[in-house]
Amino acid sequence: MTRQIPIRLFGAFRQGRTDSTLTVEVAPNASVAELRKAMHEVLETDNARSLLKASAFATDSEVLDDADAVPEREISILPPVCGG
Amino acid sequence: MILVDITDSVLDPLIALGHCCADSHGAADLFIGRVRNLNEGRPVTAVSYDLHPVLCRNIFEKISQEALEQWGEHIHVFLAHRQGRLDVGEASVIAAVSSPHRAHSFEACRYLVEQMKVRAPIWKQEHYVDGDSEWIKGHVLRNPA
Repeated sequence: MTRQIPIRLFGAFRQGRTDSTLTVEVAPNASVAELRKAMHEVLETDNARSLLKASAFATDSEVLDDADAVPEREISILPPVCGG
Repeated sequence: MILVDITDSVLDPLIALGHCCADSHGAADLFIGRVRNLNEGRPVTAVSYDLHPVLCRNIFEKISQEALEQWGEHIHVFLAHRQGRLDVGEASVIAAVSSPHRAHSFEACRYLVEQMKVRAPIWKQEHYVDGDSEWIKGHVLRNPA
């Protein structure tokens, strides 16, 4: 049994894509580190896989650590930031 | 007193200064970040700002609350960022702080801007004169240790 996790994409992760989410499959009690590994498997380009290494997963309220369990709430992948 | 905003609309510095105002405040500091026409030698025509609106607002509120904790609950704080495509010269961010004396306004306003740069989920894609576009490399988001 697995969980389908839709991940919202931002910034450079949207490059060349028409959709703004990517769905990956993980085990029911997966950690964020396992989610990262699963996302790595489904990304299509070396650039995107490289960007993933420097990116953070987050909910609407907090940035997640790799040791955290994947929450039930909506998940986003956040590439390095540069506001202003 | 804190006011933060994420908006598609033109940023108005008068709204920031209207919020950062009190009879006991002898100082108000205003920062406006604008799209510039050159980056690393490449002529820029516009910048598209992508952001995570809910998380960005939460981070803005956290940063603002930290400013109050550091410089006093009596200061007034304003932090707003625009999203979407902006032409050269348009304001992308406004930060403002008012306080009884100038030192706290200067320091707190700078704190808002510097923290926003490294903690807020905001990304920019520059558009160049030659028609090319590029996402700008930024700061890796990590939770504090």
